[in-house]
Amino acid sequence: MRTGHFKERTAQLVALSDSKVVWSFAGLLLALVLAAPFLIGNYQVTLLVSAMIAIVGAVGLNMLTGTTGLISLGQAGFLAVGAYTNAILMMDHGWPVWLSMPAAGVVSALVSLLVGVPSLRLKGLYLAITTLAFAFIINHVILYAEWLTHGPNGIFVSGAKVMGVDLQRGKALYYLTFGITVLVVFAALNIQRSRVGRAWMAIRDHDIAARVMGVDLLRYKLYAFMVSSFIVGIAGALISLQIRFVNIDVFALILSIEALAIIILGGLGSIAGAILGAIFLSLLPEAIRLFFDVFADTNSSFYTTYVYEIRGITYGIVIIAFLRLKPEGLIGLWRDVRKYWSNWPLAY
Amino acid sequence: MDFLLLLLASGLVSGAAYGLIAMGFALIFKSTGVVNFAQGELVMLTAYISFTLYSTFELSFFPLMLVTIPISMVIGLVLERLFIRPMLGEPIFAIVMVTVGLAVVLRGITIMIWGPDPYNFGAGIPAEVVLVGGVPFYPAQIYLIGALAVLTAAGWAFLRFSRMGIAMRAVAANETAALLVGISVSRIHAVAWMLSAAIASIAGVLFAANFKLAPDLWFQGLRSFPAVILGGMDSVIGSAVAGLVIGVIENLFQGYVGQGLREISGFIVIVIVLMVRPFGLFGSRDIERV
Repeated sequence: MRTGHFKERTAQLVALSDSKVVWSFAGLLLALVLAAPFLIGNYQVTLLVSAMIAIVGAVGLNMLTGTTGLISLGQAGFLAVGAYTNAILMMDHGWPVWLSMPAAGVVSALVSLLVGVPSLRLKGLYLAITTLAFAFIINHVILYAEWLTHGPNGIFVSGAKVMGVDLQRGKALYYLTFGITVLVVFAALNIQRSRVGRAWMAIRDHDIAARVMGVDLLRYKLYAFMVSSFIVGIAGALISLQIRFVNIDVFALILSIEALAIIILGGLGSIAGAILGAIFLSLLPEAIRLFFDVFADTNSSFYTTYVYEIRGITYGIVIIAFLRLKPEGLIGLWRDVRKYWSNWPLAY
Repeated sequence: MDFLLLLLASGLVSGAAYGLIAMGFALIFKSTGVVNFAQGELVMLTAYISFTLYSTFELSFFPLMLVTIPISMVIGLVLERLFIRPMLGEPIFAIVMVTVGLAVVLRGITIMIWGPDPYNFGAGIPAEVVLVGGVPFYPAQIYLIGALAVLTAAGWAFLRFSRMGIAMRAVAANETAALLVGISVSRIHAVAWMLSAAIASIAGVLFAANFKLAPDLWFQGLRSFPAVILGGMDSVIGSAVAGLVIGVIENLFQGYVGQGLREISGFIVIVIVLMVRPFGLFGSRDIERV
């Protein structure tokens, strides 16, 4: 049993993990997820793809809201920008998907400057409302700029091929999403412990104090907006590949709330939390469906009629319950369990 | 000229609805520091309840409101007790997120009870067109503008003269100091929620009487944000006036600039306002110390 703090070099302090057990568990998990498409059915693979897209989006939002403390209700707007950029570039301009996807991220990041610059003086609730306003404006621009976005008709997305492999078929899309998820998570973990990430946390904890200590608020807040929406834009592009049809209805306001629910539920500011929250919330509708199938046979028509309402109510209840009972989220729950495990049979 | 007059008139009508909803926001923000994202849902829920009362008992407008307002105040109180009170002392962000969660729950429940189809809801208001200064108005529109005028005056008098109103301003100014001089802060919070729910019910019924009672009524809550921001989130009277301004601006945009701009013109206005004055036009500037 280790009894003290034995870190002697800075490298040890900032390492992602110093425990061989953690690394081997992570490796095992990776191998398992890699093998998953061969072990489970197509439907479950689709679910996993949605969960992984949710992870990408949640990690992106977490940079802005969890790490930097800038509350954003505009997630749906950035997702829409990413998805539409990808769809327009692929379908109307014939870009290959490996170019159009990064482009979706870049365009999202550029658009985020449009909302980021006016929001620099704002914080807290005023910022939340401005980002909400931004999501509205984006939706309307998409709806009315028919020459670019086909307005209410939406765009079908097909023919995403890399070296002859159809990326939109089950397994290929799975591995693409998986690769991007791993990349994004690692990038996020590394950004968080870099100079930029630490500056973000200082801004979150107290922005005026951070400025006094020499953090350039303007620059770092803009970085947060750009990095976050770059990732969210990629998530949007993945959504467009998965559902094969982008339409403004996909990016309704509830999506922004869902995204916030994910990171609150997982544990604000923690990347592992964002992952846990994304998995939990994207599989939750499935759990509800199963529940209605098994326990409420006579009511399943009730479920199909009110599927959106039931989903919304569940999200709401999950948000309220977690904020009330476990504000640190799932990751806090996990820490408690771990502490309990190592201390047992003692309480502390 | 007639076109302009018509635009102004209908702008004032929708602006009055914004103003009423914004007053509800501001009242809660002023005394508790929380933006109640569920205000639009409160508007929707109370409007539907009023609709059920109306179709069961066939009341005319004033008796209907006499029943609806107390019911909505009870709803406001219950929501505050169940969801907001236990969060006392938590960070503001957490409380605001609770109201966001509350909003989606209320929305889902309302649609599940009353179904997704819109209703015609006259609210017992006569339907003959009245001419005011040459401009035709429906009585429901006049009721809406009248309600805003009455509530603004009542709100001003309440905050200026009544014991409760003064206590509310004290809580808004400094919660700890208010506690020290013997004001029950938790009671003030409850009263703020009750009054705000009452205003929401008036806004909801009159909005439904003017337009339609449909499940997207909750959206009016979000649509009123520009008014709240323009008026400053902690200025009850300011947000009522700002509601009218936003309503008129939206209609002028619609009439002279282009279709489809109506919905977002308000938001464009607030983005500009916030760039110039990050705390709203009539809001108070926060002074922060490290």
